[in-house]
Amino acid sequence: MSRSTGSWLEARTGYRAGLRHLLDEPLPPGVNWWFTLGSVLLFLLALQFITGVVLTVYYAPTPDHAYDSLRFILAQVSLGRLLRGLHAFGASFIVVAAVAHMLRVFAFGAYKAPREMTWVAGSLLLAVILAFALTGYLLPWDQRAYWATVVTINIVRSTPLAGEWLAATARGGTEVGALTLTRWYAAHVVLLPAALAGLVVLHLYLMRRHGVAGPTVPREGEPRAFYPFHAIKDTIASAAVFAALVGMAAFVEAPLDAPADPTDARYLPRPEWYFLGLFQLLKYSPGPFEPVATVILPALLLIALVLLPFIDRAPERRPGARRAILGVGVAVVVVVAALTALGLRDLPPRRDPRAWTPRAVGGRLLAERANCASCHREGGSATALAELRLARDPDWIAAHAQDPETIAPGSRPPPRDALITPDRAKGVVSYLRRLQMGAAPAPRLSPEDELAVYVYAANCAQCHALDGEGEEVGPELSRVGREKNAEALRTWITDPAEIDPDADMPAFGEKLTAEELTAIVNYLVRRK
Amino acid sequence: MDRRRFLASLINAIGGAIGAATAFIAGAALLSARFARRRETWVPAARLTDLDEDVPVTATLRVVRDDGYRQVVDREVVFLFREEKGGARVLGSTCTHLGCRVSWDAEHQRFNCPCHGGRFDKNGIVVAGPPPEPLATLTAKVDGDRVHVQL
Repeated sequence: MSRSTGSWLEARTGYRAGLRHLLDEPLPPGVNWWFTLGSVLLFLLALQFITGVVLTVYYAPTPDHAYDSLRFILAQVSLGRLLRGLHAFGASFIVVAAVAHMLRVFAFGAYKAPREMTWVAGSLLLAVILAFALTGYLLPWDQRAYWATVVTINIVRSTPLAGEWLAATARGGTEVGALTLTRWYAAHVVLLPAALAGLVVLHLYLMRRHGVAGPTVPREGEPRAFYPFHAIKDTIASAAVFAALVGMAAFVEAPLDAPADPTDARYLPRPEWYFLGLFQLLKYSPGPFEPVATVILPALLLIALVLLPFIDRAPERRPGARRAILGVGVAVVVVVAALTALGLRDLPPRRDPRAWTPRAVGGRLLAERANCASCHREGGSATALAELRLARDPDWIAAHAQDPETIAPGSRPPPRDALITPDRAKGVVSYLRRLQMGAAPAPRLSPEDELAVYVYAANCAQCHALDGEGEEVGPELSRVGREKNAEALRTWITDPAEIDPDADMPAFGEKLTAEELTAIVNYLVRRK
Repeated sequence: MDRRRFLASLINAIGGAIGAATAFIAGAALLSARFARRRETWVPAARLTDLDEDVPVTATLRVVRDDGYRQVVDREVVFLFREEKGGARVLGSTCTHLGCRVSWDAEHQRFNCPCHGGRFDKNGIVVAGPPPEPLATLTAKVDGDRVHVQL
């Protein structure tokens, strides 16, 4: 800015005085690195705002498109994977920074008069940050997002008195769906940012009004200006956190599950790590006491947090004179940390979404036999398989595979037969997901095993799971070889009624060729 | 340089580096043009034996196109003629004036634009009205009896 423009602006706005007021804030001696946590948090929130805005440019908040729009961000948008990693891991960084900042203020007794309202605004900010985290992870509309939200809304419903009403408000429609997604999206990108901005401004205003509390025992010496003597510490601390976050976003892949499937009752939803303590507490609460763990205890904790400066009113700030309240604080931290650690230990092992399951391998064979790639290839008349959108429901895929003409008449030859049924379409999607996530090529199988997994994906997966994929109408088959020998398996598959007249399973004797029957029996009998 | 000025420039340098890195990531994502590519595809349009040298066959072609994270079906109307040599000639139906859809006027053996009176002959050459250029000629190939048009 040229000198004359600067003078003109100064004359009209007085910005120099404002800037000087901001930067020359006198800080008491002894303000050290512990006092950078608030600035780091503010920096992370600003960064989260920027990455959030860019994500909003590409994200579509509808169940039909949310998942595919996120995959689009990951696969097509330049640096999209890094951007999403920054936002996803940024949330965790913010929770850590917020708690660290709060514990520092607690330990230093900085919430005491006259700074009670600064603390209250800060406690509300923590609640807003957690609400951000909660609404944020519904947005990808993957399995984890969907089921975690179903659980969250059921927790809300356990609130005494107002439960049903609160749950209906959180849900929008009668079930978790499109109305829930737009609602949470509106909260995440409009309502909560507005609340956050207002509370941050209030918090900073109050911080300046009363000044930084400084060390618990005031030190001798002259106050020093915030800029540049403390600002350099804030800048270095923020830069270090930024470097760690960028490194994490670059080298660790933020999780994305399969598309949300409301019919999949087998999925084990697990919350983000910062809600794991609450989740663990829930496990220890017997039925009638559930609302205690889900609503009452967390609400009491938040209320106690807000009221802390009004409960602990003695002006003394030295830790030695505050043993009781510090003891309570340490106890709360230990309990929350222990519950979180227990929750982490109880986490089911994460399945690598790129690992091939029999259903996925069989799905690949189904896609080959159905000639999908005759149109769905690079330069073909339709989008290549590796880039197809995935959020279609199985019925649509089956209808499309049986009659591509309805999608684009004249552009495709009719299929040879109705190979792809809705049940089989799920296997094809399972294969496509691995293809699109850049999984290693499917494992090579012997011709007989290849036929077996094909038979499995085409006929069995709609009722039986293998290696974690497949429906659960009938028993899991991963260890079926321990219970049944080849002869029993063959008889059972050919005609279950021969063994158990009440069997629900249909007979496959006439649906499978002799070769197919032998292949699937030999494959299953080895599953031990 | 005194300590104060040194610290101030260090703050500016580090802050500038963080800002530049953030701006680079956000800018790359916002200005990303990798998905702006449009794939060209061959779409079967008609049988060669159905075509005539003087009267066009009007075909509505449907082509699946990526629209960001979804796919849409574009409809494109084209006019197909048989060529003397045995190939096919394909004209687009978009008027070169302001983009209206032209149609074949069998009586006068020409294409009429309904918007501003543009007229084209069967070769797509402007014969009357404001259009600045002839109708677009699309690339076609004959595969057996099938005429495919590149879109």
